[in-house]
Formats: sequence, C-alpha cells, structure tokens
Amino acid sequence: MKKKFYPDYLIEILFFAILTFEVILILAFVFPPLIGREIDFLAAYQPRPEWYYLWLFWVLRFFSTDTVFIGGLLLPLGIIAFLIFIPWLEKKIGWSLTALIGLVFFLLFIIATIIEAIQ
Amino acid sequence: MNIIDWILDRFRLKTLHRGIFDRDIPEGINYFYCFGGIAFTAFLFCLVSGLFLSVHYVPSEKEAYQSIIKIHEEVYLGKLIRGIHKWSANILIVSIIIHSIRVFITKSYRPPRELNWIVGIITFVIVMLEGFTGYLLPWDQKAYWATVVGTNIAGSIPIIGEDILLIIRGGYEVTGITLTRFYSFHVLWFPLIIVLLLWAHFHMIKKLGISKPL
Repeated sequence: MKKKFYPDYLIEILFFAILTFEVILILAFVFPPLIGREIDFLAAYQPRPEWYYLWLFWVLRFFSTDTVFIGGLLLPLGIIAFLIFIPWLEKKIGWSLTALIGLVFFLLFIIATIIEAIQ
Repeated sequence: MNIIDWILDRFRLKTLHRGIFDRDIPEGINYFYCFGGIAFTAFLFCLVSGLFLSVHYVPSEKEAYQSIIKIHEEVYLGKLIRGIHKWSANILIVSIIIHSIRVFITKSYRPPRELNWIVGIITFVIVMLEGFTGYLLPWDQKAYWATVVGTNIAGSIPIIGEDILLIIRGGYEVTGITLTRFYSFHVLWFPLIIVLLLWAHFHMIKKLGISKPL
C-alpha cells in the first residue's frame, strides 16, 4: 500500500523531531557550555573560531594582512555564487562536472577543518 | 519569460491552495530526506532557547560577561538553556550541509525548483552569519579576538574596506557599540530574515511537492 503524508510520513517526521531534541539535550548535558576568560585588551591572543569557520581560518594562513580579503571574502563569495548558480551551471556543463567542482570545495572544507582541528 | 513571471511561476502563486496534510509524497524516498526537517527542528530549538536567553542577557560592554555568569550560576536551568542553544546551532549547521548534499545528489534543484535552491543557499549563508555574530555575545577573550580577526578581513578590502569596517564595528575598534550592533543582528535582523526565507522555502515545497527520486 502506498504510504501517505498523513499519517504515515507525519509520524516519522515527528519521531525525528523528538529524536533531534533528545540528541541536543544529551549533548547539552554531556558537553555543557563553558565560560571563557575575561577580555584582556593588552595580551595578544590567537583566537580560534567555531568549527564551521576553521577551514577559512586555515585558508587565511596563506594570505598576508593586505590580501587577506581574497581568501577571507572573495573565496567564500565565489563558493556562494557557485552554489547559487548550480541549476544553470549544471545545464551548461553537465551534472558530473558540477559535482566535481562541488566535491573540490567540500573536500577543501573537510580537509582544512581536520588539519586546523588537530593542530 | 520575464523575471516577474518566472518568480510567480516558481512560487506557484496562481495555483489553488491545498490543505497542509493533502500532499503527494513520491515513492522511494529514504531517510536522507529527513535532514531538512531535522534542520528546521534544530532552528526551532535555537529560536526558543534564544528567546529565553535574551530575557537574562545584557548586551552592554560592562554587563555582558557578568550576565553570562549569572545565566550559568543563578538563572534556573540557565546553563542548560545555553547548552541547548549552542548544540542546536551546531546540529543546525551539520544538518543543513547534509540536506544540501542530499538535494544536490538527487538533482532536486532542477527546474521548477531552482528558486527554492537559491532560497536555501541564502538561508545557509544567514545561518553562518548568525554563528559569527553570536560568537561575540559572551564578550570573553575568545569572542573579542575572534571578532577582531574576523572583521579585519572586511577591513583589508582595497578602497572601501575602511568604510565597511566602520559600519560593522561602529568605530575603529571592537567596542560596546560593536556588541550592541552584533546583538541586534543576531537576535532581530537575521532571525527575521531566516523566518521569511523559511516561509518561502516551505511554501514552494508545498506547492511543488517533493522531487521524485531518480
């Protein structure tokens, strides 16, 4: 019998919503948030961003202070432009080539995050 | 077809309204189709826990750090609410990434769903900006210097960089003005934009249906 949205899929959606909440609760209990140190305006401090910006942090190592906008701004904007134009780009160059470009960006994200995280 | 007709067509504004339970689900979908819904659930938990945090948080240079300590030590369940806010934000970003990959692999961004894909990408960008602005709010050592480094990127743009830096920071240094500014964007502007974008996202899903698996 064909599954219908109501009630078959709706109950699965609700199940996953509750499961998501449980995962969030467990994480919040096991790894509670910490309070950082108070700001010290004088001491030079090398901050680390959240994990989803670590890849960008790694990329920025290859740029000097004057050219940092190339890696920190133009590269992310380029990736966003690529993602937005995927529906039209795919018509022109085909799915596999688009997927290849996407994979390069995704691997950059994953590998750079791991390199930065283990340092 | 001009651009207005294209948007009207992609939004399916000229078709009849249906009940929310009355929708077609194609055969052969798998559990990777859940991640959009998981992302929305995580967003709702971010929203609700954020509403409770904003009751106790004070976005000022002198009191921000103290109010975080107060949330941890005095506010009933305050530490838990802050943990929920932090972890639902992380789950939100992970599930958006998996959701985007699923949509790309099943080729669901193809016409007539291109506009929905674009709305999704913009939502993702705004969520990342939420992460950036939210990072400053605890007003501790890590937050302060991360924002100094992050906003310096905008400042390095030739010619217009300095003006952009002044707009973002509200001065040459990261100060209480920056904090108020980031707070405003984090709790008012960005969530409002996200809610509007999600409305458009869900409206188009309802009108266009879920794409057929290949």
